[in-house]
Amino acid sequence: MTSAPLDKGLPLKRSRLSHTATYWLVFGAVLALLVAAPLVLPVFWSGFLTEILIWGLLAMSSDLLIGYTGIVSFGHSAFFGLGMYGAAAALLLVSPPNLWLAIVFGLVGAAGAALCVAYFSTRIRDIYFAIATLIFAQIFYVIIFTWTSVTGGENGLIFDQPHFAIPFIVNVPFHTATMHWFVLAVVTASYLTLRRITQSPFGMVLQSIRENEARTRAIGYPVERYKIVSVMISGLFAGLAGALYAIQKEFAAPDFVYFLTSGETVIYNLIGGVGTLVGPIVGAGFFQLLRQFMAQWFGDQFPYLIPLGLVFIAMIIFLPQGLLGFARRWLNK
Amino acid sequence: MRAEALLDGGSPVDGGGAASTPLLKTEMLTVRFGGLAALSEVNFQVAREEVRAVIGPNGAGKSTFFNCLTGVLRPSGGRIIFNGEDITGLRSNLISQKGIARSYQITNILPNATALENVRIAAQSRRHAWNMVSHHSAFADINARAEAALQSVGLLGKAGELAANLSHGEQRNLEIGIALATEPKLLCLDEPTAGMSAAETNETKELIRRIAKDLTILIVEHDMEVVMELCDRITVLHYGQILAEGTPEEIQANPKVLEVYLKT
Repeated sequence: MTSAPLDKGLPLKRSRLSHTATYWLVFGAVLALLVAAPLVLPVFWSGFLTEILIWGLLAMSSDLLIGYTGIVSFGHSAFFGLGMYGAAAALLLVSPPNLWLAIVFGLVGAAGAALCVAYFSTRIRDIYFAIATLIFAQIFYVIIFTWTSVTGGENGLIFDQPHFAIPFIVNVPFHTATMHWFVLAVVTASYLTLRRITQSPFGMVLQSIRENEARTRAIGYPVERYKIVSVMISGLFAGLAGALYAIQKEFAAPDFVYFLTSGETVIYNLIGGVGTLVGPIVGAGFFQLLRQFMAQWFGDQFPYLIPLGLVFIAMIIFLPQGLLGFARRWLNK
Repeated sequence: MRAEALLDGGSPVDGGGAASTPLLKTEMLTVRFGGLAALSEVNFQVAREEVRAVIGPNGAGKSTFFNCLTGVLRPSGGRIIFNGEDITGLRSNLISQKGIARSYQITNILPNATALENVRIAAQSRRHAWNMVSHHSAFADINARAEAALQSVGLLGKAGELAANLSHGEQRNLEIGIALATEPKLLCLDEPTAGMSAAETNETKELIRRIAKDLTILIVEHDMEVVMELCDRITVLHYGQILAEGTPEEIQANPKVLEVYLKT
């Protein structure tokens, strides 16, 4: 009797193995290209690629909610911003500026914001959730914008870049390439962590909530608690992106806490393909490059949002699953 | 009849209650929607390992009754005692954890997951649910539980198939499989054969007969043939009240029941 299920399991196993090999091959190839990029790209484009990775991390964190839990957050500017200002606080208060402390402070800041948003917003559903997160993000924006004595208000904060330091082993200042590699390492580790979370039993519960919330509750899951934890995790990774951005750019500005950042994060997801984790990174890259090229070709004053908007409309009509949506099942196996 | 059957079955399995105490009991269960009483003062009992049908014309309160039992609706009055415990007004996730599972009238599976993933999500709701570091397919106990559930609804051969690609009958049976994977003590089936062909209905009938061997089952069903064949006892609801209760033979011979069914 028990041998029957085993036989059925075998063909599944085999296809899984070849899938795993292909997946890691593609993963390795893309990673190798990204590692090699600063060696061949000019300094400006190398830094630009680093920035894309950071936006990609922010988008990926948001995908955990949009693509897996099935809730759309417009609060990611708050998580990103608190990550940014948290890092800024560490870099300004501690001398010499410490890289790891900046990241930890950023994570703590984002966790605080995420806890607030998660606790109150997950009680409501659908569009109301999105609006509640938006309101929370704007509250954080107003606080940061007006509390000039602490946050620098409109002008933001400027600070020095920390060195890349591991106590007793290495202590070197970053340059464009090493910063890129550091960000790449963090983003890659984040991707692998998020991927594992989405494949875990916990991740399956999130996807079950996305597909059918009432049913998920009916088979025994306290849905709100899962949503709270998923918002917390998502917020932490968004905060990590904010901290990285502060470290790369050496400033923190209230513009990034404005809800535009949240909106762009959602757009990265839609362009790249929700529920794929890597899709949003591609979406962020596509968006940033398009904007950059338009500024280069037509000048800074060019109203780039108009053609960009047309491109989105076209994509939503002709590519509703996003650039990597076709690979969704394959990426999540 | 029923008492003898229970004695034949040997001593009660659950330490919690003796075989003589009902598994499920409602006392004066009432649900009002505004001025309308969808259920009024329903006193209802199901013995352990019984298969019970709840029938009645449309609007009799059958679905409301199920919704109350499974925590979808909060009753306006009365109590629900399950396995000796008051579960009135608990949310559906807690009710599920107590051991009441439900299959839905409308097919309610996760269409973009495979049949196995559908039951596995249900199976892991009792253990490992918060694990974030292991692959969801890596747990032998969950896989065994999920495969057993698929086997008992005859879908083991389609384990890797996307739920959306299953036939209507198979999807309905997968619904039952999901409910079974939560290891319930009481299984509530809401019109399990609705929309099925005659052949599919027969299969599902056999399936219910098979799983009924060690489960208490409540069925809401319109197909009288299914009800008469499968159930030990039948409860007839009419306008939110219990009109009659008894064995299939008694119900078939009950003039009040005949009148209600002929009128509608």
